[in-house]
Amino acid sequence: MNPSAAREVFQKIATNISRVIQGHAAPTRKLLAALASGGHVLLEDFPGTGKTTLAKALARSVDAKFKRVQFTPDLLPSDILGVAIFNQLDQQFHFHEGPIFTNILLADEINRASPRTQSALLEAMGEGQVSVDGERRNLADLFFVIATQNPVEFRGTYPLPEAQMDRFAMQFTLGYVQPADEVAVLTAQANNHPLDALASCVTLADVTALKHTAQNIRISDELKRYVVDLVGATRSANGVQLGASPRASIALMKAAQALALFDGLEFVTPEQIQELAVPVIAHRLVMQPQARFSGLTARGVVEDVVKKIKVPA
Amino acid sequence: MKPPPFLLSVTLLFWGWQSDLVLPGALMAVILESALVFRTRWDLSEDDFSKTWSFCSLVLLSAVVYSFTNNEGPSSFATMFDDLSASNQRTATVASARTAAQVIRWLPMIFFPFLAAQTFSTRESIPLTTLSLILQRRWRKAKQLGQPLPPARGFNVGYPYFCAALLSASFHPSEDTSFFWGFCALLMWVLWTQRSRRYGIAVWIVLLAAAGTAGYFGQRSMAGAQAYLTNHLSAQWLANFIRRADDPFQNRTSLGLVGRLKMSDSIVIRLQPETPKNVPAYLREASYRLYRGSTWYSGSSRDYIDSIAEEQPAPSGNWPLLSDKRTASRLNIACYLDGFDKGSPAGLLPLPSGTARLEKLAAYTVDRYAAGSVMAHGPGLVLFDAHYGPGATFDLPSGFGTVTNLRGRRLYEESGLGRFEPHGDWASSNDPPVFVYSYTNEDLAVTPLEAAALDAVVDELKLKGRDQSETLRVLQQFFDNQFKYSMWQSPPRSSNTNQTPLARFLLETRSGHCEYFATATVLLLRRVGIPARYATGYSVHEESGDGYVVRLSDAHAWTLVWDETHKVWNDFDTTPAIWVEAEKKNRSPLRWLKDAWSRFTFEFAKLRNGQGNIRGYLLWIIVPGMVLLLGQIVFRRGRKRRKDKKSDADFLAIWPGLDSDFYQLEKKIAARGVPRSDAEPLNLWLQRVEKSPGMETLREPLRELIKLHYRHRFDPHGLNAAEREKLKAETKRCLELLAQSRSGNS
Ligand SMILES: Nc1ncnc2c1ncn2[C@@H]1O[C@H](COP(=O)(O)OP(=O)(O)O)[C@@H](O)[C@H]1O
Ligand SMILES: [Mg+2]
Repeated sequence: MNPSAAREVFQKIATNISRVIQGHAAPTRKLLAALASGGHVLLEDFPGTGKTTLAKALARSVDAKFKRVQFTPDLLPSDILGVAIFNQLDQQFHFHEGPIFTNILLADEINRASPRTQSALLEAMGEGQVSVDGERRNLADLFFVIATQNPVEFRGTYPLPEAQMDRFAMQFTLGYVQPADEVAVLTAQANNHPLDALASCVTLADVTALKHTAQNIRISDELKRYVVDLVGATRSANGVQLGASPRASIALMKAAQALALFDGLEFVTPEQIQELAVPVIAHRLVMQPQARFSGLTARGVVEDVVKKIKVPA
Repeated sequence: MKPPPFLLSVTLLFWGWQSDLVLPGALMAVILESALVFRTRWDLSEDDFSKTWSFCSLVLLSAVVYSFTNNEGPSSFATMFDDLSASNQRTATVASARTAAQVIRWLPMIFFPFLAAQTFSTRESIPLTTLSLILQRRWRKAKQLGQPLPPARGFNVGYPYFCAALLSASFHPSEDTSFFWGFCALLMWVLWTQRSRRYGIAVWIVLLAAAGTAGYFGQRSMAGAQAYLTNHLSAQWLANFIRRADDPFQNRTSLGLVGRLKMSDSIVIRLQPETPKNVPAYLREASYRLYRGSTWYSGSSRDYIDSIAEEQPAPSGNWPLLSDKRTASRLNIACYLDGFDKGSPAGLLPLPSGTARLEKLAAYTVDRYAAGSVMAHGPGLVLFDAHYGPGATFDLPSGFGTVTNLRGRRLYEESGLGRFEPHGDWASSNDPPVFVYSYTNEDLAVTPLEAAALDAVVDELKLKGRDQSETLRVLQQFFDNQFKYSMWQSPPRSSNTNQTPLARFLLETRSGHCEYFATATVLLLRRVGIPARYATGYSVHEESGDGYVVRLSDAHAWTLVWDETHKVWNDFDTTPAIWVEAEKKNRSPLRWLKDAWSRFTFEFAKLRNGQGNIRGYLLWIIVPGMVLLLGQIVFRRGRKRRKDKKSDADFLAIWPGLDSDFYQLEKKIAARGVPRSDAEPLNLWLQRVEKSPGMETLREPLRELIKLHYRHRFDPHGLNAAEREKLKAETKRCLELLAQSRSGNS
């Protein structure tokens, strides 16, 4: 697929989503960048800000397998991965695939499940395969997880294990939309939910091609160095116990490639890298426990780093 | 923010010129600019900066201490490292607020190491933690506990130093406007480099004018601050009311001046009596004999000067004034020698009546004047014991005097003494003085101008024919009952403008301050044949702790009356006693603060006075200590030295596309007021450029140019030759557009 066709795919999905989701162009862009760069996304925001709807809208837009798992405290790992059941007829174990065997998985309110269940999903996301009863099973080629979570301070939540946070390529918030956009939401839902009327606009093949095209977006050594410098700077920043790993550098580069493609470029420019630095890097930082008393946040650290490091121009 | 090149060194030269410290100023400027030649830089750690800062602070502290012990004000840098014997001469000088002015003048020298450390280090800015102990402690604690370190902020010492140097230069002794113009020029320089390129030169000039005005007032207020420091707090201020610059020979009174007398209530003398409460009522500094036109003169006694020999072995500090008088009382006196004579502080000592002997007086010379005063040359502050008692005084007896020259003769004749008949070899002015006993008594002189008014009072009181004690009693009553003490003099009524101020006081207003009362009393006594003199000094009445303090506002004038039977001069004061209360009303509400400061400086001076050579020791302690500390900082082992940043530039040059023509344009646009910060990508910058006035025409071409430039820079495929040419051409076009928009704009 040539870049302009790939860009068209992006635009089609974006437009389709915008039929349902009002005023979230920037998060949609990031979401699609993650999709195109093969990373998973964690949406974190207060309830009712449209996380689920956004994920659903994306799933509907692509003519692909879509599953949704509502994470609850009693959800077991097997509820996600699947389970082998003994069949009396043929005296054999038959594997019943869990919802993870899909193209797009909406893991809703992921932090309400127990850490064990969370880990099962996160491991699968990292490996691209699951092993149930000692048997390995590959996940789909296009496997895209959109997890949503409520802010960690909410009661009845289990924070995601810090060490596994970097299974997500990006984490970002949606935020409240402008009053005008919110009015549009009301108008759209006057009779029925616009999501119901949403039809798919691209095929699974289109998305796979988009991914391939994004991988071929060029990036200069200088900008690779810039990515490495940004990520590296978080390791020595104040208040950070554990900085971002090379996995973050890779994710940042890939996502920037996808974004450059969306922007109609055939190569990455510093703008894309800066745009994605916070959503790609911040959630991977393990802050020192005392840091929040001095007002330091992971987001602030990354923003600081972006402001400090000389950008190639 | 970094100051423009050469600004600091020029400022240092300016400071040197203004502060009479040209050599140090030039030296520091040279050191600073040598950074351009020697490209070696030290990789100074925060700890090093911290040490340098402590060093500077220590130097500051030492300078304060040193300056306290040296109130003459080291007129040059050299004094600081003067040989100690010379500084011995200057030891023990008053500690006053002049210290503050001095130390401020030294500020650029004191903090130069810090500036130099930054200049010669690899850093552009110095972490704030080096300055703040609180921050430092927070850091150390955090490090120990493994907590997150607080954010490190840095600052460039350039501008703070610049400000300090200007402040310092403002404490200059010269009266001309060179400081103001220099200040303006330096300010302009800074403003020029810092100006926003977005606006035209015209706007800048308007701003400059505003800055100039601000600068002018800044100069005025700084000069004011300096005047305040040197006048208000320093001992110089003493020469104010009754005293006129320590002149034992003449004393211009404020008789005839209209309006309110204002007096400072700074403490000028401290007394410690041997037995509690046993203090004299008056401390005399001088007495005068001839009155003419509102001024009292010492008359013929001015030429009788007696150098007192210090008791051997010198320096014993004992100075006998009347060697054969036995005295009963002793009083410890601390006062400032606030004049300056023959290269050292000098002043009249305030002494109790009948002082026969001075002890523990660390003076270089002590002279006794026939005018009834003792002048000492010595350190700025003296502490001594005065032995005194009733009986003989060191004043010359009534009628004693000499007239040796024409000036004296004229004064003599104008003072109503009749024609002067020269005695002996008058013609030759080099002859030794001729002493005249009771020839024509100067202590009885009355100017004809005042005679009528005096006679009127003499008649009113029927003074003629009374005996001396009776006369004194009547006079005392007369002034007590019929006169009012007042610091206020109303303007004379127009009809009576020929009246002398004294006549007006006696016959009309009957209100005035001590100078009126004393002058009137002296002349009235003389009119009835009683020899009298006019005495000035201080009244003692304010207890403080177990001693007494005397303020400038306690300055007083009274009368000396000759007792012919005992051949002594007695104090006689006709000023109504309420004057002390009247003075108190004028006290400033901040007096306690001034008193505390006065106490502080005094205690310090006393400490120093007790150990005459403390400054010598100080130098021996301070200088080697400082050298050691500095050496430790500069020559610490294992310090990494680093070459200039050139290698950094080499490293950068490996990236492709850095030859892009676009950078010229970026520079030009930055110069027009839209600079790009280091971390700002071009497209974000572009948005700001588009919004700024006068750049509208540039929008589209610039957008295209940045696209091309980005390809050149960040597309690994790069540009082909034609496109490279296009980049060049487009840049040129944009440059032209920019130039046009400027000319169209202004
Ligand atoms: N920006 C938005 N655009 C369109 N609908 C929105 C938006 N924000 C919230 N909504 C609507 O609000 C409701 C709650 O959204 P939902 O996605 O369930 O929130 P969350 O999953 O974050 O708790 C849905 O009906 C959704 O359509
Ligand atoms: Mg939801």
